[in-house]
This record gives sequence, structure tokens and C-alpha cells, in this order.
Amino acid sequence: MNKGCLDYQMTRRRMLGISSATLLGMPIAQMLARAGETKKAKCEHVILFWNGGGMSHIDTWDPKPGRPVAGEFDPIKTSADGIQISSIFPTVAKQMHHAALIRSIAGTNGAHGRASYQLQTSYNQSGNLIHPGIGSIVVHEKERMGDLPSFITISGNARRAGYLGQRCEAYYVGRPGEKDPYLAFPAGINNVRGNKRLDILKQINLRKQAKLGAKELKAVDTATREAVNLMRSPALKSFELEKENPKTLARYGDTDFGRGALLARKLVETGVRFVQINRGGFDTHNNNFPAMENHGLAMDPALASLIEDLAAIGKLESTMVIMLSEFGRTPRINNNAGRDHHARCFSCFMAGGGINGGQVIGKSDEDAMVPAERPVNPQDLHATICHAMGIDHNKEVETPLGRPMRLISEGAKPVMELFG
Amino acid sequence: MKRVFICCSGAVLGLLITSSAFSKPSQVDKLLAADNAKHKRGPTIAAKPINDLAFLRRTTLNLIGRIPTHEEITQFQKWPVSSRRTKLVDKLLEDPRYADRWTVFFSDLLRIRSSATGGNSLLAYTHKAIKSNRPWDELAREIVSANGTTGKVPAVGFILGEDADPMALAAATGQMLLGVRIQCAQCHNHPFDVWKQKQFYQLATYFGKTRRVENQFSRRVYTTEAKDTNILWPPERRKPKTRSAVLPKFPIELDEYVTKPDFVKRLEAKREALRVASTSGAAGKKLDDLLEDVDTSKAFTKAGFSRDVVNDAKSQTRALDVEGDLYKQSVDRTQLAKLITSPYNRYFSRNMVNRLWAELVGRGFYEPVDDFQDIVSHRETLDYLCEEFVANGYDIKWLIKNIVQTDAYARGHLSGDVSAEDQQKAVEAFTATRQKRMVSEALYDSIVIAGHLTDYKWPAGANIRTYTERVRIAIAPDLPEEGVSTPTKPIPETTPPNMQPGMMAMKARGGYDLENQISLNFDELLKSELKKDLQSMKQMSDAELEKKQRMQEMAAQNQNNPRMRYKYETVERKTDDNPRFGSTMRMATPAPPAHFLRVFGQPARDGLGQFRDEMPSMRQQLMMLNGKATHEASRVGPMEPMFKYLGGGKQNIADAIRLAYLEIFTRLPDGDEMIFAKQIVGTGKPALDGMADLRWALLNSNEFRYLP
Repeated sequence: MNKGCLDYQMTRRRMLGISSATLLGMPIAQMLARAGETKKAKCEHVILFWNGGGMSHIDTWDPKPGRPVAGEFDPIKTSADGIQISSIFPTVAKQMHHAALIRSIAGTNGAHGRASYQLQTSYNQSGNLIHPGIGSIVVHEKERMGDLPSFITISGNARRAGYLGQRCEAYYVGRPGEKDPYLAFPAGINNVRGNKRLDILKQINLRKQAKLGAKELKAVDTATREAVNLMRSPALKSFELEKENPKTLARYGDTDFGRGALLARKLVETGVRFVQINRGGFDTHNNNFPAMENHGLAMDPALASLIEDLAAIGKLESTMVIMLSEFGRTPRINNNAGRDHHARCFSCFMAGGGINGGQVIGKSDEDAMVPAERPVNPQDLHATICHAMGIDHNKEVETPLGRPMRLISEGAKPVMELFG
Repeated sequence: MKRVFICCSGAVLGLLITSSAFSKPSQVDKLLAADNAKHKRGPTIAAKPINDLAFLRRTTLNLIGRIPTHEEITQFQKWPVSSRRTKLVDKLLEDPRYADRWTVFFSDLLRIRSSATGGNSLLAYTHKAIKSNRPWDELAREIVSANGTTGKVPAVGFILGEDADPMALAAATGQMLLGVRIQCAQCHNHPFDVWKQKQFYQLATYFGKTRRVENQFSRRVYTTEAKDTNILWPPERRKPKTRSAVLPKFPIELDEYVTKPDFVKRLEAKREALRVASTSGAAGKKLDDLLEDVDTSKAFTKAGFSRDVVNDAKSQTRALDVEGDLYKQSVDRTQLAKLITSPYNRYFSRNMVNRLWAELVGRGFYEPVDDFQDIVSHRETLDYLCEEFVANGYDIKWLIKNIVQTDAYARGHLSGDVSAEDQQKAVEAFTATRQKRMVSEALYDSIVIAGHLTDYKWPAGANIRTYTERVRIAIAPDLPEEGVSTPTKPIPETTPPNMQPGMMAMKARGGYDLENQISLNFDELLKSELKKDLQSMKQMSDAELEKKQRMQEMAAQNQNNPRMRYKYETVERKTDDNPRFGSTMRMATPAPPAHFLRVFGQPARDGLGQFRDEMPSMRQQLMMLNGKATHEASRVGPMEPMFKYLGGGKQNIADAIRLAYLEIFTRLPDGDEMIFAKQIVGTGKPALDGMADLRWALLNSNEFRYLP
């Protein structure tokens, strides 16, 4: 079906660019690596929780009990042997046998803008190119399933599609559970009248079609058909949360975040490839602990229920859930009872999509200051997502200007231990 | 010239279909024809010229960014056939919306962003410059050479918008002002490009001494000049042992003539006349301008001074100027600005001529318009236009006027039975025009105008509507007993913070917010030098904006008491849903990512070389089919002209349909269309609903959003 977003045309430079790339030849190591890929990728969907502001790693996934850096939260035992997480996640703890943690991400950017850019695109921000976010990369490479848009972002904006083009941009959902007015006829226009209007429109356009007939107008027709199909699609029910069992809603926590997680699950069930759920407020320079406790209250039931439900319906194997932030926070607690930016070492939470649960990759030092074992570069995370989905992260695409670009920045390596 | 007389039942709504043209073929058209003949391009199929009403619609859209109103159509029809097109163009060039619409064009060109430091000042400055039709070379010189604070010197927004980064500024200068992509040469000598890496460095070094400075206390951001350039050669990535400062050198060789060409003489005569006419003379000049007027090469060298001595004297004089010392003029950039805007630099005039031609006719003499490769479809024509543009003092209005008065501009499209290849050929030969969609701002504003949405069209209380809203209610924390907690006053649920940096100036919350239009007051923005604190938001560095945003997010999450618990409830509210809509031309720009304007192709402007995306998409269709603006524009309100034909006792469905076609399509319906439309309006219960259905379909049709 709609594979790819190559909605730009072949230019002279692109032609030349491609032929020269062939002349240079493909690196042999890469070809060998590809020959070794025999296992079929299991992952079909990704749910990305983007926690903007830089989430404290010590107060979430990498507790340091007994150290001066430990803070106010005790570690708790989880369903995975030997793995402890912060007490703000009591329910998530019961799902840890499904999940893996990476505790040794070695970031390089300590400023929000640049770090968010890198953690979402795998590239460092540069003045003259807009790199696509990982969501756009995934939908560029994977065929659309079902009627809904392939890439949906909830409660905030996703990274832009950059050189992958408009078609790989995320579909924006302002607030989960709130009706998107653009998916139905306006108030006061019932279906009978709305369909009559569509019919009138069709006839008016047809009348002019013979006279105009340009390819742009045919593309409008296609877009209209897609829009109407979406409006009429039973899959739209996935956006509705009011008919959900109140117990389910309560289980996810009756918050925007909880509704976002529930919506993500429903969207994935209908075939959406990539869902991003945005949450802010992690820049805890002041009063880190009450803030993190609040975050826990919202995030704990949502994340845990999502994983529990995905597992129960058999969708966890094909859905990767990943929680990311642009960096961690300083082990040292500052004079305002806060923690500051810390990029050198932080953690990430993953579950499903073919990874083996109940494991920890890498290790931070005793104060979670630097990676002590198995440092993971930020771009390795994107390569990991690609690997899980069977996407060659070294594949080159061309920018509209004809510049060849790798999907994921050079040197990225999937964290293979995750897959066992 | 054929004239056809068609149905004329209502005196007001009857129209003559006429096809007048400008008096005689313009020089441009003669040259185009000669160029076509010379290059044996053809025989190309030529599309018929558009008729007067199509010309009215096309030109009103192009020049002031919306479709014509019924009154404007009537006025146009009353003008004599022989002069109505000229009259129309003259009128549109003086319309207050002219500056709004062309600010959109220049914002795309100069990638103006309200969220960038000095972005809104630059936006307001550009608007003012277009309004007063300042010569393009003057404007370009100002933005390239400006130094100072955004409040006092709004043109500095161009330098600040590129973070005063010499490399970014070199790339931007090349693409925006000269129409060449020299940017690729930043990293390497490109095998297929004429630009060498050294040339890029030489261009960048004109900006190499420029520094972005931020006062730690007042938070004011300004630019100034340092002593040394930041640009060193060879490039760092070649890992050289030593690197030395690059000397500035303009990468383009200026045209040379044995004798001064006529167009330059005319430019100089024009400028001289203007200079004499302005009585104020040197009174209003800044010290730097006065110093620049001193011609070192003649006066002083004759007197026996060396040029260096004179330059030293100049810089010492500058050093005495207190304010000038803080915001030093850039000698290098002043020099660069002169070179860029020299009448002998064809790249500069050609860039603007080609961009404006492409914007108005639908295709440039070369494309992409920011990538001149010396492959030009009609060289003589382009050269002629460039020289005339220069001779006429880089007058933008003159250029626009002369383009829209050509036959090439007024060509129709070819019909669908012509093969795609022949269509393409004809469009490239300028014997036909391509399908061109309205720019997003014009599309929105046209819906608003067609639907009479600029003012209330319903009496107060006619549209009371009940809606539900989710509110957040605080619950007192940590109380052990059930029922003791007392819900306090409901607070509307806070919007989840937007994650993208730089987006805090405007947030789209979803729902119909995606069609909002909140106008900026450009005059106030320029006055802000008097109220600098108003500017402080924009004068913060990115890092601080970030910090402020994070703090707001924190506050939103924590709401006074971090341990507070909340619950959510749905409440019913009532509203009188009688909206008025404004223009999208004066919004903070670009709009947020999911906004109507962006969905219809407004570029994000976060990189160079972003053009209007004209690709149709599903999201566009959803916003048009189900959007608030199209819905409200379709409904017939009692306070709009349409109502008298359908709302009262005696109905006149035929006149109502004629009015709908005029207001939406700028033409009358043909016979078949009238029969079809009568069926729709007639079967509507009431007829007002039928009319709403018809108008909705017309507004959503291809004919509405594509230019005639």
C-alpha cells in the first residue's frame, strides 16, 4: 500500500548522487551483517512515551539506596529477579518481568533543545538539515495497516518528518479522549445531510474535472477519499474513550497520561504503527521529590496497565513500549531540593516488541554518575527500534536536495542483548 | 475580443463575460515569443487567455491574498472594458492588504519566525517596508549590514534569526538574496557544483566578526562587531596544523561593461532625483552613513593620505560615538551589502525577478528558484526584466505590476485531454499556466470573505449551544476519611505542555483551536523600543526560553501544592456560537504544526530552502470538510446579503444561486449549473439549508481552492 513517503521527484543531482554511491560501493561489513539477519522481526508497532524536560534516572529506573544521592524514594522489589526500581512505580514493578532497563545511556548534550533533538532523531542538530524523528522513520519504512494514520502523537508535538516529507508527519491528537472535531461532520450536520453534501461536492468537482484534469486534482480526490474513509471507519472507535469500562479507565488512572496510554493501546490494536505520548514537567531543578512522586502517581498505573493489557491480548510481542527522556538528572541534590541536567548517564525503560523481559542492560557507577559497564549511545536506541522492526538502520534515503542520509546516524548499533 | 451576453434577470447579478487585455503585447511577451521561437520550443499548445472575471479573481488573490467580494466584482464590471485590468492592478497595489499578503511571501523568503530572537520585530519591519514599497536593494542592504538591538534596529532580526552564525548567514545570503545554493560547499567541494569550499569560507568571513551579545541584566540581545573573524582556513575537519583568518571575497564576479550600460545610468538618474527631492539631506543621517559617504579613493588619496590612514581615522571617529561603539556598524557586512546589491550583480536582481515571476505566473525561468545553475528557459526575457527592475530602482510594486500585465500571466490552463508532456511543455514555454493552489493564508481568508465571517451574521442569542468541558477539581491532600475532602472551585484542565522548544509563543491545543487567527499589531511591535520590557520575551536566549518553558511546565504540573490530588469532571456550559473570523495574514508566524495554515503548506521555516508544499493530503480534506470556518461560512445568517433572497417571504432562488456563485467562484453559474443548484437549494428544508449545502460544496470544490 502506501509504502514510503517519497513524494519528491528524481532530480539530476539525485541521479548523480545515487550512481556515485554505487561506485563507492557498499561497505562489505554492512553486507555481511545483513546476511546474518535471519530471524524475522516480530515488532510491528511502537509506543513511545516522551518525557520532556529530562527525567531523573535515580528516582525512577536506577535507584542508589544507601548513597547520599539516593533521595527520598526507596527501591522496591519487582516481578523480575534481582531488579529493583523506585518506589514511585509500585504497579510497574509487577510488570518488570516483561520489561528491560538500560541503565548506561551515555548522552552528550546537556541542553534541552539539542538533547531532545538527538534523542528523538539520532542525529545532532545541525543548521542546515532537519532530521526526521524516529516515528517518521518507522512510518517511512513500514506499510500502513488499516484506516488510521500510521503515526499519531498525543498531548504534544512529535519531531518533524524533515526530509522524509509531509506524508511522514504525525497526526496530532490534542487531548486523548476528547473528540477530534475534524473526524466527523460539524455539529448540526447529521450523516444523511453530510453524505448528501459529499455527493454534491463530488458532482461539482466532476463537472470541472474534464476541463482541468491535472494530476494535483486527482490527488485531491484521493485525499478526499482517504478522509471520508477515515470518517466512516469503524476504527475511529479507537479514539473514543467514554465508552470504555470505567474500571479500565480507573485502572489506567483518570489522567491525561492514563487516557493517553489507553488510547495508545487501542490505536495499536487497530494497526497504528507509531504512537507517541508526550508528557512534560520533568525539569526538576526545584523540589524534585514531590514532583517525581506526582509523576509516579500518573505514570505508574498507566504504564503498568498498558503492558499488562498488551500482554493479555497477545500484542506485547509485536509492540515495543519505550519510555525516553532527553537526559537524566544530577545525582547531587542541589540547594533547592532539585536535581539539574545530567546527560552523561541515564536510563530508559523498554518492553515488548521481541525483547526479552526481566533484564538490565549496562550498569551505572555507584552514584549513577557515569556508565560503569556497557555504555549505550543515544543513537543505539534508534538502531534498536529499527532492528526490532526489521528496518535496516543503515539504509540511505535522499533528501529533496539529493543528499544521501542514513536513516539512523552513522555508527549506531542495536543493543542486541535485549533480544537474547 | 469576444463578448457573450448571458442571463441577466436580476440587474445587480447580471454580468457580461468579457475578455479585455492590456492595450498591446508587452515587451516581455514579445521577448518570450522570440525566445520560444529561437529555441524551437514548440509548436507548443497555447491556452486561451483568461476572461476578465478570472483575471479579477486571480489577480486579487495574488496581490492581496483573498478572493474579490461581490462589491468589488460589481465595481470592476462598471469600469470601461479597455482600462479595467489596469485600474484593478493599480487599485490592488494600494490596498491595505497588499502589505499583509506580500509579508507572507517575504516571510517565506527570509524564513521569518516569530519565535526566533527578534523574529516579530523583523516581521513588523518587513511589513512596514512592503507597505511603503521600499526598494528591494535598500531592504537587502539593511538586513545584511544591520547591527544593534531588535527594538531599535529591527532589521537585525535577520542576523539574529541565523544566530549570528557566519556559516548559516553565508548559506542564507546565497539562497535568499542571490538564488544560489552555496551551502553545499560548507563541508566540501561538491563535484557537480560551481561553488568551492574556499569561496564559501570567503563569503562567510564577511559575517565572521559579528557577535551576538546578550546583556546579563536587561536580557537585551544585540549584535556587534568583534576585532577578529571567526572564520579560519583550512576547515577544521581537514585537521590542519595551523589555521589562519580568511579574507573576505565576494564569490560572484560582478558584470563588466566597456561603457556604463543604460539601465545603470537610469538607476543612477532615478536615485539622484530622489536624493535631490529629499530636502532633509544629511540631517537624518547616522554617523556611520556620513562616514560611508566619504569616498576614500578620491578626496583623501588626492590629498596625499593613504587609504589606511583614512580608514584609521574613520574607525577612530566611530570609536568616539558612544552608541555606535556599543552597536558597531560592520565594515565587512556593509561592504558585502554593497556588493550584493550592486547593479552589476545580476544574481541579486535575477533572484527577485525570478521568484516574483514564479510566484505570480506559477513557474520560474529557472527552478528551483534558490538554485540558479545557468539553465534558464528564456534568457533574453529574464535579462530584460532584470535590467528594467534595476533601472526602476528595484521597485517591487513596479515589478509585480509589470508581471501581471503580461499575456503570459493571464494565460489559462490547458484542458485535461492534453497530454501531461504537452502540458508541461506549454507551462515551461509560458503559453499556459499550471494549476496553482491558493497559499494557505489566502485560502483561509477567502473562506472568511466568501462566508461573510468578518462580522456577526447572526443576532445575539441565535446560536445558543450547550457543550461539555472537562474540568479539574482539586481534592485536599492526604485526608484519611472518605467524604471529608472538599472539592474546591473547578479549574479548566491545563493543556499538556508542548514539547517542542520555541513553540511556546503559540500553542495549538487541538479541537477548533487549529483554525484560530490571533493578529499581531505590527505598529506596536515596532514601537516596542520604547517599552523594552515588552520585548524581553523575544530577547531571551534559546536556553532561557527553554528554562522558562520548563518552569511553566513544572508549575502546570504542580499547581502551588505539589502534593495536591485532583479529579476530573465533565461539566456542561452554554455559549452563543456566533463567531467572527479575522485574517490569518497577521498571525505570529509560522503557525503551530497542526494549524490550518501549516496543514495547507505554510513552511516551518526552520531550515533553508523550504517552499510551500502544494501536495493535497487527507488532513487538509478533514479540515475543509469538517472545519469550523467552512461550516460557518456555509450557513446563511440573517445579517448577510444572501438572506433576503431566501429567508423572507418571497424567495428568489435563482438570484440566490447567482450570488452564491459570484461570492464563492467570482463568476455566474452556467445553465446546467443553475439547474443542478436549483435542485439542491429547492430540496433543502428549508431552502436556507439547501443553500448552506450548496455553499459548503462550492467552498470545498477544487475550483475554489485552485486559482482560475
